[in-house]
Amino acid sequence: MSGRGRYLLGKAAWAAVVVFVVISFNFFLFRVLPGDPAKAGARDPRLSPASIVALTERFGLDKPVFLNLEDGASPFDSQYFAYLGALSRGDLGMSYAFRDEPVADLLGEALVNTIWLILPAQVLAILFGTALGLLAAWRRGTALDVVSLTVSLFLWSLPTFFLAILLLVFGSSYLDLPTAGKVTIGAQYASFWEELGDILRHLAMPTLAFTLVLLGEYMLIMRSSVLDVFSEDYILTAKAKGLSTFRIIRDHAVRNAMLPMVTLIALNLAFTVSGAIQVEQVFSWPGIGDLTVEAISQRDYPVLQGAFILIAVAVVIANFVADLVYGWLDPRVTHA
Amino acid sequence: MTAVVQATAPPTAPIAGTRRWRAALRRPMGLIGGGMLLVAVLTAIAAPLLAPYDPYAPVRVTIFDIFQAPSAAHPLGTDDGGKDVLSSLIYGARVSLIVGFSAATITTVVGGLIGIVAGYRGGRIGIGLMSITDFFLVIPEIALQIVIVAIAGQSLVNIILVIGLLGWATTARLVRSQTLSVRERKFVHRARAIGARDAHILRRHVVPAVLPLMIANTVLVISLAILSESTLAFIGLGDPTVISWGQMLNFAFNRGAISAGAWWALIPPGLAIVWVVLGTTLLGTALEDALNPRLKRHHLEKDRSVAVPRSRLPLERHVGGTPSTVLAVRDLAIEFDSPSGPLRAVDGVSFDLRRGETLGLVGESGCGKTTTILGLLRLLPPGGRIVGGSVRYGDDDLLQLDSAEMREVRWSRLSLVFQGAMNALNPVRPVGDQVAEAIRVHERGIGRRGASRRAGELLERVGIGRGRYGDYPHTYSGGMRQRAMIALALACRPDVVMADEPTTALDVMIQAQILELLAELGREMGMSVILVTHDLGVVAQTCDRVVVMYGGRVAEEADAARLFADPQHPYTQRLLASFPDIAHPERRLQGIPGSPPRLDDMPTGCPFHPRCPLAFERCPTEVPPPFDLGDGRRAACFLVEPDRG
Amino acid sequence: MAEPVAVVRDVEVAFAGRRSLLDVLRFRPAPPIRAVDSVSFAVAPGEVLAIVGESGSGKTTTANLLLGLLPPSAGHVELDGRDVARLGRRELARLRRSVQMIFQDPYESLNPRMRVADVVAEPLRVHRVLGSDAEVRERVREALGEAGMTPVDAYLHRLPFELSGGQRQRVAIAAALALRPKLLVADEPVSMLDVSIRADILNLLRALADEHDIAVVMITHDLSTVAAYADRIAVMYLGRIVEQGEARAVLSDPQHPYTRALRSVVPVPDPAARRVPQVLSGEMPDPSRIPSGCRFHPRCPLAFDRCRVEDPPLFEAGPGHAAACLLVEGAPAAKDVRD
Repeated sequence: MSGRGRYLLGKAAWAAVVVFVVISFNFFLFRVLPGDPAKAGARDPRLSPASIVALTERFGLDKPVFLNLEDGASPFDSQYFAYLGALSRGDLGMSYAFRDEPVADLLGEALVNTIWLILPAQVLAILFGTALGLLAAWRRGTALDVVSLTVSLFLWSLPTFFLAILLLVFGSSYLDLPTAGKVTIGAQYASFWEELGDILRHLAMPTLAFTLVLLGEYMLIMRSSVLDVFSEDYILTAKAKGLSTFRIIRDHAVRNAMLPMVTLIALNLAFTVSGAIQVEQVFSWPGIGDLTVEAISQRDYPVLQGAFILIAVAVVIANFVADLVYGWLDPRVTHA
Repeated sequence: MTAVVQATAPPTAPIAGTRRWRAALRRPMGLIGGGMLLVAVLTAIAAPLLAPYDPYAPVRVTIFDIFQAPSAAHPLGTDDGGKDVLSSLIYGARVSLIVGFSAATITTVVGGLIGIVAGYRGGRIGIGLMSITDFFLVIPEIALQIVIVAIAGQSLVNIILVIGLLGWATTARLVRSQTLSVRERKFVHRARAIGARDAHILRRHVVPAVLPLMIANTVLVISLAILSESTLAFIGLGDPTVISWGQMLNFAFNRGAISAGAWWALIPPGLAIVWVVLGTTLLGTALEDALNPRLKRHHLEKDRSVAVPRSRLPLERHVGGTPSTVLAVRDLAIEFDSPSGPLRAVDGVSFDLRRGETLGLVGESGCGKTTTILGLLRLLPPGGRIVGGSVRYGDDDLLQLDSAEMREVRWSRLSLVFQGAMNALNPVRPVGDQVAEAIRVHERGIGRRGASRRAGELLERVGIGRGRYGDYPHTYSGGMRQRAMIALALACRPDVVMADEPTTALDVMIQAQILELLAELGREMGMSVILVTHDLGVVAQTCDRVVVMYGGRVAEEADAARLFADPQHPYTQRLLASFPDIAHPERRLQGIPGSPPRLDDMPTGCPFHPRCPLAFERCPTEVPPPFDLGDGRRAACFLVEPDRG
Repeated sequence: MAEPVAVVRDVEVAFAGRRSLLDVLRFRPAPPIRAVDSVSFAVAPGEVLAIVGESGSGKTTTANLLLGLLPPSAGHVELDGRDVARLGRRELARLRRSVQMIFQDPYESLNPRMRVADVVAEPLRVHRVLGSDAEVRERVREALGEAGMTPVDAYLHRLPFELSGGQRQRVAIAAALALRPKLLVADEPVSMLDVSIRADILNLLRALADEHDIAVVMITHDLSTVAAYADRIAVMYLGRIVEQGEARAVLSDPQHPYTRALRSVVPVPDPAARRVPQVLSGEMPDPSRIPSGCRFHPRCPLAFDRCRVEDPPLFEAGPGHAAACLLVEGAPAAKDVRD
């Protein structure tokens, strides 16, 4: 088997293992911790009696937790396996707070909104962060370097929610931008374009907040990575070969400098998640983060559980993608 | 060329000692950060003295007390509960710092232990621990924190435990990679060879080496923990019984501070968080920088490597080369920046390179050989500068060309074979491409296909074979990489190839293969070769003429045959006496006492005089010029001065 | 001749190689890699034995065997007449004091945080051989003196970065001498040093053998040094000793084609004596892919049919001189490695 195949297979297997462990961990977490929300949930007064019966049935709350060791019973007739079974059907249970709505539906809708927020911000932050980092490293010690370094460190130290609040105030007072939600409540749109325009107006400040938060970090990483690459011997070789500085950077430096970037972007995905939660809360953007915070204040455990699984799995997948990108960028890792 | 930097720059400070910590605090970053943190800590300690009110005391509030604008009684106004913002702000420092320091301590202890064990043990335990670490690295911390705090309860202790225990993976990863690299250091191997047990090795060698970085990391972890705490508090998961900045913002934001226009309830707690986080980040970054100093300079800085005054004399007159001369170097002088001022690495070096000859450049480490040839191509390592002399190639003085003209000359006329071929080839590009690239840069019309065909032929010629055109450098063996480097150097059929210790670190047989290949191709293409080496045997076997360097100067220059038969300079004599000859195993070898001079400690007068057995009064005071001894032979020693009789 | 300090008899060291995914799926064990294969030699007090070979030839594995850092998969290693494998932990620790190592890179092999006195005292502390601190200090001074670091007081409190390469290597030698070893294993002890420094370090090692009756095993690739300093030589190729004997005899008249080639590529510092070196093509194969028959045959200029199938043992090629080549076939070399 080729080195590349072995590498891919290994990474995919690892991602699968992590997802499985996360799912199991999630199950036990909600049962081991004090309060046992699963059982408490079935008594939640906000649920209709029919829902309670359905819930008890679906999650086998009257059954043993892990393995069913009663005579004649299947060992798999337990809460844990009922949970795995439900999960495999995409069934995450019912929300307590949102009047019996399936958690999966709630999360699905929120996920789309979160992607609206995260994707453009990530792309912008990566583009500007790497470009700035590259420039700062290349012109190390100049005013450009010092300024962008200072700004990046400041952005990095700024709590996301605080930056979001500042931008919210700024946007609403000076730019007349909306302060909450995805669309203007009660608005009637003449066309799709008008609706899109409204969404974009709502999205502007959250996206900016998120971009700025990520930008500082990416710039710092890229700068130090580029500085390392620029003092490598093969850069001297490229210079000795008579290549122009532009060609050296384009053909010899960028790809090598991106390697630590990819790893660190992946490692810092948790940071992205945390940022998304805060930005969504400040702007009441109806995404996963907003839903999670809402679930916390409502003690809506099924939603919390579902959000946790969704976030963890998304991060695992994003990590896997980062591994693929790394393998594509660096021939050394796929070498057996 | 890390070797160049090591050999020429003054020695770096030891990793040991408190010096490093002080160095970190001397940097503006560390000073500012440390100061900011100190202010925060003092505020937290002295909170009861500083705060005008006790924010924990119950107050009766009327509607008029809420969101009062700043006044004499309330310098920062009041919040949503009618409490004095300034007092809450001052007391809030306590929570932030307690959470930050305790959580970071937990993280460092847990992560450090796991990291050291995983890194040092290897094997099953190591792999197992690392898998667990990798798992926790992938799980988004914030999600777990939220879930656990939401279920387990929002007490300060829970928050500290959650932040501390969930953050360890990053620390473990860092400590593990540090431990792994320390474990492979030679001094640890040595301790093991002595017969030391693991406990001893860990205590005496591994932990002292890892600890400083762990401490620097802890400082950074403090800032992360403070951010985490404020985030949790802001999303409503703070401990309701204590006052923290995150919570102040949460209450203010959710209870109408914005619509009330009460900026004083929002801005101060936000800035307080920024203050502490920025302070710790600056301090932590400064510590990391001080422990792991990066090269301050890099290869793509604006080219300031030549500081030679415009020559006024026509070239022919001030350079006395013969028609067969390809390259004439005159009075080359090179300096390096250092904290104590510029250091002369090459001083008044002159020599001619004739068409088709192989010239050996010989000397010990730090004598300026590598710096000289890099100087000829104006490729000095950052911080290096040519401060005088001329390098005539054809009708040009290479030191007078502008940078575009210089780019044209590089590689197409003068090329290099570097010492460490592993690092000299770009690891993420196929070897063949890197050869073809050089051809395309200098032969514009040749096209992609033409260049790659030529590159393929070259790889074939140096014994690699066209089949490995698309392979990456790491798949090549050491010998193969050096062959590839030779193919690369010859890609544009240059007039001059300069090879810098091309066979160091290669096995004897591979060494012989490479030297043979270089000589063969040199003959075939009629190139001139400058061979930089410390191996007198190699010089004797391959070079026509030899330039011996010592302390940045030319000590002696002669035909190879004459130099070995009748060395004139005492340094050459002693060097030959210290070199073993397999044909004369009975000869007793004698080293030269002392060691080659360091740039920052260059002797006065003749650089060799402290080690010279024949030194007399003139040697420490006067620099001997190269005395012409006829037939292209020169030696810089007063003992051979012609007038001396 | 005196009783040898170390005897290595028919030793084999095999590592588990890398399993391919296919092997894993079929539950096949990893293919063994024989780093060292039927190697035998002995070294006597006061003797300098050079082990010569290219990287991957098994030199370093052999050094680790002598240091007791690596158990042989087959065969015996005897130190001071006792089989290392049969010793208990405590006895082994005692025995290991008598074998000390000197590393190639004096810039890396000293802990940058430890002062000279601590570096030299470390082995004494690890093995707790001396009771009082005063005794330790005395022994440290003695060892530094023997290693030529005089005046001792000027160096005791220096850190490694304050020393030159040659001085660092002397400190490493002093640390090795502190335990009064019977055997020193020196792994390329001078290859990282400046040419002008090398002779003095080698002279020091030679003097330790001559004057203190220490046995020295010197691992090197430099045949000129071997000729000048070693009493005996063992040439290794792909884990085997292919030729061994008295150093100058072997080098003046090498019998194995590999030794001959190695000898011919040694650059001689005499332009008048330029010869055409007999450069072998190709590189030494991976120890996981050892050729059939004589392991040298694919690169041997003199190989003939039998070489492809027969694995030659060491044949006697002169008094105390043996070579593993079918061309010198004759009486098998004496199996007793003690002669």
